[in-house]
Amino acid sequence: MYDTWTLLIATVTSVVCAICGCLLLVNRRAMVSEGLSHAVLPGLVIAFIFVRDITSPWLIVSAAVSGMVMVWLTQALQKTGLVEPDAGLGIVFAGMFSVGILLVSLELENVHFHADCIIDGDMTMAPLNMLEIGGRSFGPKALVVMSLMLVLTLSFVAICWKELKLMLFDPLLADQFRLRPGLIQFVTLTLISLTTVSAFNVAGSILIVALMVAPPAAALLLTNRLGLLLVVSSIIAVFSSFCGTWLAQQIDVAPNGPMAAFAGFVFLAVLLFAPRRGLLAGMIESRRQQGQIRDQLVLECITGAGEVSEPDLATMLRWTASDLNRVLQRLAQGGSIRQESDSTWTVSERSRNESGH
Amino acid sequence: MPDGLLSDYTVRTVVSGSAMIGAVSGSLGCFAYLRRQSLVGDVVSHASLPGIVIAFWIAQATVHQSSSLSMWVLMPGAICAGLAALLLTRLITQRTHIKPDAGLGVMLAIFFGSGMMLLRWLQRANPPLTGSSGLDDYLFGMAAAMTTSDLAMIGTLGTLAVLTMVLSWNRLKVFAFDAEYSACLGMPVARIEILLLTLLVIGIVIGLQVVGVVLMISLLVTPAAAARQWTQHLGPMVCLAALTGAICSAAGAVISALTSLPTGPVIVVLLTSVFLLSLVLAPGRGLLFRRRSHV
Repeated sequence: MYDTWTLLIATVTSVVCAICGCLLLVNRRAMVSEGLSHAVLPGLVIAFIFVRDITSPWLIVSAAVSGMVMVWLTQALQKTGLVEPDAGLGIVFAGMFSVGILLVSLELENVHFHADCIIDGDMTMAPLNMLEIGGRSFGPKALVVMSLMLVLTLSFVAICWKELKLMLFDPLLADQFRLRPGLIQFVTLTLISLTTVSAFNVAGSILIVALMVAPPAAALLLTNRLGLLLVVSSIIAVFSSFCGTWLAQQIDVAPNGPMAAFAGFVFLAVLLFAPRRGLLAGMIESRRQQGQIRDQLVLECITGAGEVSEPDLATMLRWTASDLNRVLQRLAQGGSIRQESDSTWTVSERSRNESGH
Repeated sequence: MPDGLLSDYTVRTVVSGSAMIGAVSGSLGCFAYLRRQSLVGDVVSHASLPGIVIAFWIAQATVHQSSSLSMWVLMPGAICAGLAALLLTRLITQRTHIKPDAGLGVMLAIFFGSGMMLLRWLQRANPPLTGSSGLDDYLFGMAAAMTTSDLAMIGTLGTLAVLTMVLSWNRLKVFAFDAEYSACLGMPVARIEILLLTLLVIGIVIGLQVVGVVLMISLLVTPAAAARQWTQHLGPMVCLAALTGAICSAAGAVISALTSLPTGPVIVVLLTSVFLLSLVLAPGRGLLFRRRSHV
């Protein structure tokens, strides 16, 4: 039963993260997820110092505010024009994370606050924490929270569909249409910050980054449309969480590492085999173009010379005999040149007529 | 007792090691900063984890067990993994329409995710591998665990990296400011880029033991960003960044030894304060100056 809950939690979390990731990625801010997943720490710690209760909802609020503060500070630094934008992000999140750790070691010396859980998270423990209201069980708390986030994120995307689409692909135009990109940007980042926080104790920082970046990046290699992008990255996310939890059970570790790794492997597979934008497709296409250019070159040379022997042609083009021979055979098969004598070639009647007209 | 403190052998090792690391990563970080590749610091530090774990595992299986946590064993693994991640990112962003930030993020996820998986799996091995829990030091940084042999490793790699930087200064300089121009001058741009990435990887992985994977980006970039506020020239910027890195790291190590606070976060907080001060106070450029000139 607990395994089923774990799988459910993993699936819902990964879909929420993937959708948020799409919004980040099209904005070219993928690394913000890495920054957010660390910058929420001081918020968590400060709230904990005040309420002294690890289950309090104030922790989530304060952590989300902390994430927003990071985003705001990064943007403020960028606006001064004194710091490179990517450096600003790094400086701010590392600074906030260290403040968080220092607060932990100053204030919470006696409290069990394991630094490991920041990176690992613990998905297998999450189902043990059930939400009970009035004696009735509503399933694991983590699942309820993540499902709420899923509903929130999906309704935001549905409501602001047109605006998001335009903003994601052309923020300047959106600005001219007075779509208030500032407001939508703010809501987007708040949502992402909230997602990060609520996924934090389940997934841990590394899995959040992996789920936010890898599925959308893979989907971007497959499609250009916003709707398909969301669907495809959700499918990839669900697939990696299934495979990840399965592998985790096999080798008896927490599912987070395997899930992250699987999300990455799916990306690598798509990177290699994507139909038009993959590495292999690119290589095949460039080989095809190379072949075309060679064919044309040889044809031009033969047309210019009228009749030419194979060794002469090879010296003219500075190609090896075997390279040249392959191209000649291909052209001869296509019927545009024909062999006069043993190694002399000339343009066939057909292509002479074609070039004549 | 600060007087007694510096004569303490362990503390002296840790402080001098931290200072060296601060200087090396601070000076190399300037190039990452100017190339707008600051996040490389974050990605490489995370991506080196599987390399470290695999190197540890191989050492356990083949060489003497007690030496498998030594930096001489782990660093080559870390450098290979970090470099592999960067070269893959380069391949992805050159050959597909995936943007650099997404490429870096994906590589971080793949390498660090599989590294964590390997690490946890190894730590659960039965019978337990001696010292496998010591690998956690590389995640969060444990400056106090530094030994004299680690110091020698840091010194060797750091000196090599800085020497290479000085020897190829002109090429790196042109490349850092304007890669297209350096291509027009007929420089071997691809080779320079790979050289720079290698130097960065070395500068990053030697710092892992002190500040850990998460905070390494700060050690690399914050000194450079602070130094940039004070000067318009590369030479002074690199020197200033190296100095800032060295002083803050040494001071952080001392403070941490006095108070038992974790070393990495102390160093980063010091560096960030220096950066903020520079941002406000730097002559001609600083925020304070800017406010005055408006009046």
